Amino acid sequence: MSAPLEIEDLVAGYGRVTVLHGLSMTAGTSGNVGLFGPNGHGKTTLLRAMSGLVRPSAGRIRFFGEDVTHLSPQAIVGRGLIHVPQGNRLFPDLSIAECLALGAWTRRARAVEDENRERAAAIFPRLAERWRQPVRTLSGGERQMVSIATGLMGAPRLLVLDEPTLGLSPRLKEELAEAVRAVSAAGVPLVIVDEDVELLLGLAKHLFLVNHGTIGAEIRPGETIGHDAIMAMYFGH
Amino acid sequence: MQPLAEIVFGGLFQGSLYAMMGVGLALVWTTIGVFNFAHGALMMLGAYLAWTLTAAGLPLALALPAAILLMGGAGWLLQAGVVRPLIGRPNLVLAVVITTLAAGSLVENGVLQAFGPRSKQLPPLVEGSMTIGPIGVSLHQLAIILATPVVLLALWLFLTRTRLGLALRAVAQNEDSAQLVGLNVAALYGLAFALSASLAGLAGIFIGGYRFMSPAMGGDPLLKALIVVVFGGISSISGPIFAAYLIGFLEAFSNYAFGLYWTPAILFAVLISTLMVRPEGLFAPRMGKLA
Ligand SMILES: Nc1ncnc2c1ncn2[C@@H]1O[C@H](COP(=O)(O)OP(=O)(O)OP(=O)(O)O)[C@@H](O)[C@H]1O
Ligand SMILES: [Mg+2]
Repeated sequence: MSAPLEIEDLVAGYGRVTVLHGLSMTAGTSGNVGLFGPNGHGKTTLLRAMSGLVRPSAGRIRFFGEDVTHLSPQAIVGRGLIHVPQGNRLFPDLSIAECLALGAWTRRARAVEDENRERAAAIFPRLAERWRQPVRTLSGGERQMVSIATGLMGAPRLLVLDEPTLGLSPRLKEELAEAVRAVSAAGVPLVIVDEDVELLLGLAKHLFLVNHGTIGAEIRPGETIGHDAIMAMYFGH
Repeated sequence: MQPLAEIVFGGLFQGSLYAMMGVGLALVWTTIGVFNFAHGALMMLGAYLAWTLTAAGLPLALALPAAILLMGGAGWLLQAGVVRPLIGRPNLVLAVVITTLAAGSLVENGVLQAFGPRSKQLPPLVEGSMTIGPIGVSLHQLAIILATPVVLLALWLFLTRTRLGLALRAVAQNEDSAQLVGLNVAALYGLAFALSASLAGLAGIFIGGYRFMSPAMGGDPLLKALIVVVFGGISSISGPIFAAYLIGFLEAFSNYAFGLYWTPAILFAVLISTLMVRPEGLFAPRMGKLA
């Protein structure tokens, strides 16, 4: 069987600025994948290319063997590659319930909508208490929860989370990490970007360092690596 | 007693027309964030389409829905032609002002070429008149007063109670997130324009049934729709609806109390003083809310 995600020599950017310079990686064959690296080196751009929001100028992205490089975001979501973006504002004037309903927009997802809603409510009990509340009025942590729950509603075959704990207090961070573990335990493979290396190590056994728009280092499952070694990679050379 | 009845009836009637025009403009503003300056031309086109169909022998009961459907297509085309290609540009709002003004003037001149300047008139929705209390009213106007809230209610139910309406409200708020849940943003933008143009076309058919039609007939209704939308709050569709009726009544009252000549000045005085106190509009909630 093909790997959930295979990326070959990906080149992408914004207008004349190239951010990804021929990035390659294979992910998802052995559990969750973690991405880390310095700010502004292309992690978010990589995820946006995967979900079709950024058009790669060269290279290839395969999702379970199928070439999705030039598919529309709509088509990619329809295949179950679900991207929960960084700092998601979601839909400020919609309620939590409405956001989740939209999360299950695709045909695949609609078929299992009720099931997924129950699952989301079990993982995020805090949300179930405020089903009708507009997203605009939620706290940052709660909004992040809705964002992940909306992703879950899409019946992901691969769930891509961009900095799910960014800017949260340590207590909330832990609560969110717990929820992400529950999502993973429910059998959804993850690709997760986070600045918090401890958290990343707790969630993923397969890590990639994204550096200057390429993969700077790969830590395979089984290879043990300490916090210090990772910090050295960050601040580098 | 009679002046009061005249004012109430006149206010309801004008308010209905303004609401029908304003809500379409607001729908496009809230979903796409642009003002469609071809909205008046679309209204005129709806009236002329219906006229063409009735002149070809179709009864109004068939010509009206057919013209409204055709207007949906026209709105879709307008969006695809002069709005969609500009989306994502930093100067979107101003660029769309120009392209829709251009498209509107093209439509007006096209209709002038095709139909000539001679005034035409549509058959009324309902023939005849009746007396209500102290005043006599035309059944056409009464039908408009009764039909408008039904259409607006249907639109509101569509936006708030259906999945597609939910998607339309969402795409207004966050285009990236809309794409990431799998919404077809281009299609939803097209749908917003199609609905908006259909509503404009309906307003045109309403107006063409009691007043002579001309290719320039959309100018004043466009202006009124802009006033209604700005006055009611540009970020919702319920605000402009309330504002439309309020302005309708204000106009009817001012016409009676101060005369026709003073009414525009009074209207603008009220509009400007309201905007000084509430720059976001009289009934504005927060930004970007569709229903
Ligand atoms: N819409 C955009 N237009 C132009 N340049 C952009 C855009 N978005 C990102 N960039 C640039 O692309 C580069 C990579 O950004 P990206 O968001 O992918 O980094 P990142 O690794 O996710 O950073 P962070 O850890 O801060 O989230 C940065 O230099 C950024 O300024
Ligand atoms: Mg990022």
